[in-house]
Amino acid sequence: MSQKYYEFFCPVKVIAGKAALEHIPYELTGLAAKRPMIITDKGVRAAGLLDPVIAACEESGLDIVSIYDDVPPDSSTSVVRDIAGIYRQEKCDAIIAVGGGSSIDTGKAVNILVSEGGDDIAKYSGAGVLKHPLKPFFVVPTTAGTGSEVTAVAVITDEKKGVKLAFTSSFLLPNAAIIDPRMTLTLPPHITAATAMDAMTHATEAFTCMAKNPLSDAYATAAVKKVSQSLLNVMDNPKDTDGRLELAQASTMAGIAFSNSMVGLVHSLGHATGAICHLPHGLCMSLYLPYVLEFNLESIREPLGELLLHLEGPEVYSATPASRRAEASISAIRKLRDQLYKRCQLPRTLKETGKVLESQLDHIAEQALDDGSIMFNPKEVTLEDAREILRRAWA
Amino acid sequence: MLRKRIQPMVLQARRLYVDIMFQVMGRALQAVSEVDETVQNDARALPEGLLFEMMVMPDGPRLIVEHTGNGHFHYHGESAPRPIDLSIQFKHIAHAFLVLSFQEKTAEAFAHDRMLVDGDLSYAVRMTRVLNRLEAFILPKLIAERAVKEYPASLHLPEKLVSAARIYLKVATNFVETVRA
Repeated sequence: MSQKYYEFFCPVKVIAGKAALEHIPYELTGLAAKRPMIITDKGVRAAGLLDPVIAACEESGLDIVSIYDDVPPDSSTSVVRDIAGIYRQEKCDAIIAVGGGSSIDTGKAVNILVSEGGDDIAKYSGAGVLKHPLKPFFVVPTTAGTGSEVTAVAVITDEKKGVKLAFTSSFLLPNAAIIDPRMTLTLPPHITAATAMDAMTHATEAFTCMAKNPLSDAYATAAVKKVSQSLLNVMDNPKDTDGRLELAQASTMAGIAFSNSMVGLVHSLGHATGAICHLPHGLCMSLYLPYVLEFNLESIREPLGELLLHLEGPEVYSATPASRRAEASISAIRKLRDQLYKRCQLPRTLKETGKVLESQLDHIAEQALDDGSIMFNPKEVTLEDAREILRRAWA
Repeated sequence: MLRKRIQPMVLQARRLYVDIMFQVMGRALQAVSEVDETVQNDARALPEGLLFEMMVMPDGPRLIVEHTGNGHFHYHGESAPRPIDLSIQFKHIAHAFLVLSFQEKTAEAFAHDRMLVDGDLSYAVRMTRVLNRLEAFILPKLIAERAVKEYPASLHLPEKLVSAARIYLKVATNFVETVRA
């Protein structure tokens, strides 16, 4: 009997495309919510991205009762407690998180407090602690990369203890993710590139790591295809609404894929590098992806070879001998990185970032080995393996 | 008819097997932490006094070990002296049996959602490395290759045989001491 087994879960309603924001009032009403609160950051507000959200609600007679726009890049337990206090004071009954990973994670954590009660978010950390559905929660992503709108995880820093708290529960998933191309139209080129490569990495690791399954495979390959076909077009024409929507959908699809089949060593190294050198997550993903694929090559030759179809299209795929497709996939990813470097100097090596010291590589390797995602990497990783990959990624 | 009569016995035998394997593994974890430097180095990063549990949900067989410091473990049997810090929980006895009978690797069991981690994930990753190292030592290579993601290339037969003999001797001694007590 086959030992294969998998679980797949994604109950998030995806509302995507032209005038998607205008569906928010209807969706809120459907959940009997009348007093929504927006959680966002100053950058999103300054870019005017709240305006269409607020206008869409007001036009339908739904007032946004409160706006919290001071979410920091690395959200903390005290921020979550403060926002929960405002939510209660203003008698809100729903949350709309507008922003990137930090605002979305903050929204998830605030929803725990306002639904379960109390001021101490730390006591809800861990897996499976939540036992009941939470308040109505909508997410409007303003980057196309993290996939946080469809993941059942939130990470919040406990500044007193100096540790990151992880919260995992399917109840953290929003009721709806609203993917509107207007939200990503003004993303600067280097963020567009880094976040799209984040989505590309989510999809590639979901498709090649240990917990891959037929349903996550479908989302992963579709996401790879969308990023491959649209990223450079969007880099050349930032106001390309259709291309922006493709990237935003790719991010959501990659998020659905990796939240069901997990990620591997690229993320282990990326998390460690982010923590030690404070490099943006998407940049780390783009940087490490080809080196880790080369390391994993013999364990993932078949699925990686299949990805060539989605990376380069049917003509290149059919013209490439089956035995060379895996290597050709890595080359395609390298080629894409070179193009991005040409357009916005997105670093391809640790040295090019200018923010990593060679003396930090050992520390990064040690920390990567303790990262949870390493468990799902298809190939066992020793400390020496991690050091070798970092040496290759250095320059 | 015969199948109906046999099935409860099979299920009971499976539970007994998991129970015995946990007892062996708990003692072997203590033993390997006394004989292998790699395990000690991995365990040293765990907080002193950390209580680690591997159990079957909701209240099935379990093993509990404590990191007593300097990379050494102490096996506590099935009862913990205080609340557990890190727990790896099989969702069902059938899933524990798959792993403990080496039909499914520990990493595969995580990937297949057979197990949950309650506690610090980085410590769980370390404990999984320790468990893999233990299995590489005490199982014949052919079986160990089914139990771990990758059999350590640096582990050669002489080292394996000597370490396995020392681990088994310590496990047997611990069993005898438990029976005597």
